[in-house]
Amino acid sequence: MTGVEALYPFLYDRPAGVNGTGLEEVLAQVAHSTERKVAEIDQLREAVAAEYAVRLADCAVAMAARFAAGGRLMTFGNGGSSTDASAVAARFLDPGGGARPLPAFALTEDVATLTALANDVSFEVVFARPLAAAGRAGDIAFGLSTSGGSANVLRGLAEAHRLGMLTVGLAGYAGGAMAEAAERGEIDYLFVMPSDSVHRIQEAQTSTYHVLWELVQCALASA
Amino acid sequence: MVPTVTATQAIEAFARRRSPANALATDADAVARACYAMADRFDAGGRLVVFGDRASNCDAAHVVVEFVHPVIVGKRALPAFALPGPDFAAQIGLLATSTDIALGMSVGPPVGAVRDALRAARKAGLLTVGLFGAGDGSPIDYPEVAEHQFVVASDDPLVVKEVQVTTYHVLWELVHVFAEWSDRSGMSR
Repeated sequence: MTGVEALYPFLYDRPAGVNGTGLEEVLAQVAHSTERKVAEIDQLREAVAAEYAVRLADCAVAMAARFAAGGRLMTFGNGGSSTDASAVAARFLDPGGGARPLPAFALTEDVATLTALANDVSFEVVFARPLAAAGRAGDIAFGLSTSGGSANVLRGLAEAHRLGMLTVGLAGYAGGAMAEAAERGEIDYLFVMPSDSVHRIQEAQTSTYHVLWELVQCALASA
Repeated sequence: MVPTVTATQAIEAFARRRSPANALATDADAVARACYAMADRFDAGGRLVVFGDRASNCDAAHVVVEFVHPVIVGKRALPAFALPGPDFAAQIGLLATSTDIALGMSVGPPVGAVRDALRAARKAGLLTVGLFGAGDGSPIDYPEVAEHQFVVASDDPLVVKEVQVTTYHVLWELVHVFAEWSDRSGMSR
């Protein structure tokens, strides 16, 4: 991890032993590292808002148009991003608070299909196959990857695009292979969190999909 | 009518996150102390037992994967699992031991199963950590349910979740920092 020496000098700048850095100093340095992380995610959210405000509004309008015409949202991702896929689907489907419920489901929650495909075919097809089976031209695919390089997410988005679905992607770093897929036209709306920290990327992605949900609700209410 | 939203609405939505997100910095000392206590439990063979109410279910799963499969290559896997619910308190009794850590999450004040499980865990000797949202109230004078608790000062469940994601990412990283410091200094904590 880059910068870790600067964040926690006590791990590096003295010989180990009982005469090393004391607990109080360690606690103080650790607290300072938390303050820096909070500042980092604040700056990252600001950068995403500045870079993508127009595209997020456009994407929300495009998603709203699909929902208005009977389209459904299908979400997917790996690891922590699979929990985000679940959270996105849950938010759209069952928002509470008087917001409009919209048809959405997370492909990652179908563990039977996911493990069957992973076991029988390959992990690369676990999202593309269910999309090929259930996806329709009016639907929306929503893929999350912190690296932008997840092969199964890329395959899923490519398949969704082939079916005529609206494709939305969240990535990090410089977008990786998802940026290339967007250039090929396979991802209609790609939002890249410009950071090299997986954790800050996930945090910014969470805000991004929350804002996108809010804008979709606004767009549907405006129509 | 054709649906419309503006870029200004997007910018305003991001701006609403700033104040509650930045307030986490004021908890930095408390976060450090929680992580020191958690590292101590892991060192003693304890495991992290995670649970969250409906809106925090996904986050419970996310916390588990952070600890079990670290994103930073070379960090050791630490034992963690999520409780399936709905009766978290009963599952603490069945699945946890007194050396474990209970981490309970909700996007509002702790009520129902999450509160009951944290109380049961504390009584059973587990280290208790709570991530909550203020709801309509204030984080000041918040009832103490867990020994280490962090309350996001927002009544927007989406904003609370976002700050909690940062909080548990930091908890994971700092637990490793304390573990490595302990290894280096050769001190038993």
